[in-house]
Amino acid sequence: MRILAYLAKRLIFVIPQLLGIVLVSFLLVKSIPGDPAVLMLGPTATPSAIASLRQQLGLDQPLYVQFLIYVRNLLHGDLGTSWQTTRPVLEDLLQRFPATLELVTLSLLLAIVVGVTLGVYAARKPNGWVARLADLYGLSAGALPDFWFALVLIFIFYTVLGWAPAPLGRIDMIVIPPLPVTGALTIDALLAGDLQAFWSACAHLVLPVLTLGLLNAGPILKMTQATMEKMLESDFSRFEVLCGVPQNLVVRHALRNALPSIVTIISVLYGFLIGGAVLVEIVFSWGGAGQYAVQGVLNSDIYPVLGFVLFSAIFSLIVYIAVDLIYFLLDPRISN
Amino acid sequence: MSLGAAEVISKTRNASVGGDKPPLIDIRNLRVTFPSGGAEPKAVLKGIDLAVQPGEIVGLVGESGAGKTTLARSILGLPPSPGRIAGGEVHFEGRQILSLSESELRRLRGHRLSVVVPNPRAELNPLLKVGDQIAAMAKIHLGVGGKEARRMALEILREVQIPDPERRMDAYPHELSGGMAQRVVIAMALICSPAFVISDDATSGLDVTVQAQILALLAKLAADHGSAMLFISRDVGITAHFCDRIAVLFSGEIVEIAPREPLFLEPAHPYTLMLLAAFSHSPKLRDSWSVPDTGRRRERNAGCQYADRCPIAQPVCRTQRPPFAEIGPGHFVRCYFPVRHA
Repeated sequence: MRILAYLAKRLIFVIPQLLGIVLVSFLLVKSIPGDPAVLMLGPTATPSAIASLRQQLGLDQPLYVQFLIYVRNLLHGDLGTSWQTTRPVLEDLLQRFPATLELVTLSLLLAIVVGVTLGVYAARKPNGWVARLADLYGLSAGALPDFWFALVLIFIFYTVLGWAPAPLGRIDMIVIPPLPVTGALTIDALLAGDLQAFWSACAHLVLPVLTLGLLNAGPILKMTQATMEKMLESDFSRFEVLCGVPQNLVVRHALRNALPSIVTIISVLYGFLIGGAVLVEIVFSWGGAGQYAVQGVLNSDIYPVLGFVLFSAIFSLIVYIAVDLIYFLLDPRISN
Repeated sequence: MSLGAAEVISKTRNASVGGDKPPLIDIRNLRVTFPSGGAEPKAVLKGIDLAVQPGEIVGLVGESGAGKTTLARSILGLPPSPGRIAGGEVHFEGRQILSLSESELRRLRGHRLSVVVPNPRAELNPLLKVGDQIAAMAKIHLGVGGKEARRMALEILREVQIPDPERRMDAYPHELSGGMAQRVVIAMALICSPAFVISDDATSGLDVTVQAQILALLAKLAADHGSAMLFISRDVGITAHFCDRIAVLFSGEIVEIAPREPLFLEPAHPYTLMLLAAFSHSPKLRDSWSVPDTGRRRERNAGCQYADRCPIAQPVCRTQRPPFAEIGPGHFVRCYFPVRHA
């Protein structure tokens, strides 16, 4: 019951939070120099043509009027139009956001498996070789740029060994993509019962997921290692050892106590990766949402940028609410 | 009082000095060191000899830093980090347990040898229901199934006199008071009916009235389960209530050990006198035996550890370690000049 009351309270705050995010990002995007009218019409445009386009786009209005118009359109489900793709931003994002989400989610799963496993083993023996390996791993994962690591993987597995498909998108050119339902190609292919498309999508996922997964395992590993070491040194773990509880069980109990910190770092990474995966998206021609937003920033195409910010914000809020629910389930001290 | 005392003494002597019965646990020359900055590690336990008979309750008193907790943990083969056992033997139920493998030793802990710890609210896993934590002991050590373990847990919760035990089974540690959490820890220590229980300052964090209840309970349960007990405390007065014998620990060595009545009526070591005087209402007694601890310690003391604080120390005390001499039946003291009582 408490959990429902808490959820309701959280959801009430979602609307003002989103409004604040839209306001701040609107002001920031507007402060980027560059006139979309000039870019749209090209170098040969006459000043009068530019002026009339500015008027048409509402760019001659004061900033707050422009903002109110944007918010009014938002409430009608209109996120504006991208002048680059000449399509509604909502349509573009519904197509691209799932691509990014699929990539980021699978990468994060890999990062969790690698990071938590290595972190737990490193914490069990703080002076052992796994702990030393974990230190080295954390350092390298933090130091290697992801786009460079992606290029190395492409060089080894595509150019030299020829095991991976060409880094050109999410599926082989000759394979017909499945009908979009969720937007995630693997799931859609399975829903359509198209195994050829499924394996093709999987093959294209391997290298980008390896890139993002292995590099982002670093922070998860560090957090797991540090928290687990603390938990294994805590009074209750020591008491369990004094009571003759087998080590595996002591570690399992300690991991449960360490989970809130680990879940926190995972949720932060999840939100961050939606935009942070952009360089890897570019390297693999992924056609994801991050790539779309960056194109928008570079070409003063503000609606894709704002749309991306809005999508990411909603996604992050969902993740954080989910995390709070997980805390509730994990820790009786919060839920009672 | 005199008749009762005599009875107690004779009973205790039979239990502890009888000689023909082998002790339940026999600690021989146990030494524990901690790494210090220098080349020589710091000795924290300097050769402890202590034997406990089946069913006997032995008190161990000493000030903070004397090595009480180190002793409790080292008996279980787990000296507090970064200490290590530098030598000695612990014989228990016919085996030298310090030479057992880690997994054999683990099976003894909490099963045949268990420990009651202070500050129980931090010692219980905050995310697990207390009933499950108690039942886990039975599951792990006795190999009983989940249902039977739960039944045993409920029964032991009744034995430790927790009000409304059915409901408390599903409580989390943060929902319990300190006294109740202490009862839970005692339940965990006793559910497998261990042969030997170490109570490590188990009541230090509790109110005085709760302390008395817990102590009475601990003594009763140890007797009910047939467990011998090493009762560690900073408070020498508490041990007078139910210990058969009392050992006084100072700076990592036992300076005096005696059955209860001789220890309280004829204390022989100046440190024991100081401890008893500290709890005394007589200002004269307090003044004559209490010497302020100046904190001055010599790095390596070849003689008596207490010499620096002793009001009757002689030059010999500082140069040669006094022998552990028997001055009465079962009454040993490590002092050149044990105090005689007329």
